[in-house]
Amino acid sequence: MLQSIVSYGLAVGAVYALIGITYNVMFSASRVFSFTAGMLGMLGGVLGALFIAKFGLPVIVGLVLVLACGAAVGVVTEIVTVRPVLKSIEQHLYVLSTLAFALMVQQLTAIEWGTEAQPFPRLIPIGPDTIWGWLDQQFWLPMLACAVTIVGLELLYRKTLIGRAFLAIAEDSYAARALGLPETRLRLASFALAGMIGTLAGFTGAEMLLAFFGNQSILNFYGFVPVALGGMGSNRGAVIGGLALGLFQQAANFLVGGIFAAVAVFAVFIIVLLLRPEGLAGAATARRV
Amino acid sequence: MSITRRQVLAGSAVSAAALASGFPAPAIAQSEPIKIGYLPALTGPSSSTGIGINRGTLLAVEEINNAGGINGRKIELISRDTQSDPTKAVNAVAELTQRQKATMIWGPLNSGEALAATPLIARDKVPMLHPCWVDELIDVKKYPMSFRIAPTNTQVGGGANYYVVDVLKLKKVAVISDTTGYGTASANTYVPMLKAKGAEVVYTNNVDAANPDLKPELLRMQSAGAQAIMPWSVNAGFLSRICNTRGAMGWDVPIVGQTTLGSGQTKALLEKPEYWNKVYSNNFRQVCYASGKLLPRAQEFVDRLKKAKVEFGDTLLWWVALGWDGAKMMGDVLKAAGPKADDIVAYMNKVKGWPGVYGTVTWTPEQHNGFPDSEVVMCEVNSLKDGAFNLAPGYSA
Repeated sequence: MLQSIVSYGLAVGAVYALIGITYNVMFSASRVFSFTAGMLGMLGGVLGALFIAKFGLPVIVGLVLVLACGAAVGVVTEIVTVRPVLKSIEQHLYVLSTLAFALMVQQLTAIEWGTEAQPFPRLIPIGPDTIWGWLDQQFWLPMLACAVTIVGLELLYRKTLIGRAFLAIAEDSYAARALGLPETRLRLASFALAGMIGTLAGFTGAEMLLAFFGNQSILNFYGFVPVALGGMGSNRGAVIGGLALGLFQQAANFLVGGIFAAVAVFAVFIIVLLLRPEGLAGAATARRV
Repeated sequence: MSITRRQVLAGSAVSAAALASGFPAPAIAQSEPIKIGYLPALTGPSSSTGIGINRGTLLAVEEINNAGGINGRKIELISRDTQSDPTKAVNAVAELTQRQKATMIWGPLNSGEALAATPLIARDKVPMLHPCWVDELIDVKKYPMSFRIAPTNTQVGGGANYYVVDVLKLKKVAVISDTTGYGTASANTYVPMLKAKGAEVVYTNNVDAANPDLKPELLRMQSAGAQAIMPWSVNAGFLSRICNTRGAMGWDVPIVGQTTLGSGQTKALLEKPEYWNKVYSNNFRQVCYASGKLLPRAQEFVDRLKKAKVEFGDTLLWWVALGWDGAKMMGDVLKAAGPKADDIVAYMNKVKGWPGVYGTVTWTPEQHNGFPDSEVVMCEVNSLKDGAFNLAPGYSA
């Protein structure tokens, strides 16, 4: 039981964490909470199955194409749903045009791909190991993707000029623009980056979650929980929150089961937010008076 | 040429005189086709069933018309694709009953559309025949002209319960459903039925169909001593996860449930083909292989399908047979009762032991559910051959 809780919990938690990071990357560059993170995760699974299982492309080619599609969808999201809104309104924390766009893409996926879950190919061609089943690739692939992403983002933000420019925009976009940073292009790049992270989450988690259009709403919600728990904009918080959520959810599945497991997750979520509204890793901001 | 007011008045007077003098009905009315309104879902998510049923329906109509029609009148099937959308089904009903003046309606072919369409067809007083399973669709007081040619959901669950308790002689059962309306309603209906049969329901739960890991559920079933798993869901992902988890656990209990357990989508999601062993889904006795052979009625039907070059290997035999039964039943009714709605209903109320390919139908004035309990059986899901399955082990041939 413990093995199953740890392997499944950490694997699902890694997918949630990556979706949380997707939310954060888009939020940092634009101060917009884009509801397209779950959509990107769903597309990662569906497009991966399309390229590899249906078109018969090699796994690496499939992965590259999925990431490219993710980046393209991220760019389209920014141009179509974020940029026009940022131009015209002052308060734009939650941009509902992103939700509308996500729902539209989900419906299109349902029409073109189908409403039934479909199989996702095994990425590394070895059969499921029944003895060491809890060490199966479907569990460690999302964890590996999460580790690579968090290390990659740290290196990007700390070691590269473009990464520092991202941080500058996230810290204070007006000051960054005053210093001559191309805010619009950086925002576009961050949405492309978020698109790649979101589809990577869906791609590596799809052996577990299958290629299913309905994963969008689950990932949208459960990916938001680590952001809220870890603090908006904090990637480390999202990883800790995501893994904790996955472990807790799986433990609740074992201990109470059925729909009560979801109730237990929501109950803890609400309690944590009541105790620490700024999130576990977020700092309470001083209110200007 | 312009028409003057005087000409119109003169014409009207002639028509009125003709009506008053009681002209015999023009010969043309006795030879014009009998219109049957038909509401299949040929596109959209419910279309796989609709396409299968459609093949049988078209074959029956063709056979009836080739044999001279109904007392010299051809059947004209007015087909409207509902696109698996209840709204479109409702719009089509209005057209078929009011504008086209259809004599009877065949369909809709799935319950969601039938729930929306049945009250409207009843309001327009057109006799209707449908193959949908939701129990509430038949109510002789509310819908006295509506008849069902297929089993109800209660019969479907009853068939599965009968197989577990009376055929396999298993007494400890785990019932699991997804959280959809269908899943919870089925589990809530079938659990008391199981208990009434003397079974002990050792575990029951509703689970989100998207939950990727069902091992906790199956471990709890196992520790509760379950000897059979009965899942109620139409979600292939959910059902395949149950099969995969049972297989990975090396647990040998049978899985007994709804037809989606045997669908191609469920098969595609299995981690290993052998995880489909000991999985039994609902089917119908007339169209199952018993000891490797179909019953004579079904075998003769298959021979006719092959002769007419109707493809059925890519669909399910029972869908095609159901389509044929629906159209053939209406042909037989119209031949015996004529085209008047009241006569049709009076005749259908007395149909007894009608030998369809899909099932044997009996209706009474009080009971418009025509399918017999004894023909709802379970089949081996991994035995599909030419659109039909083997009877599950344990039934007498």
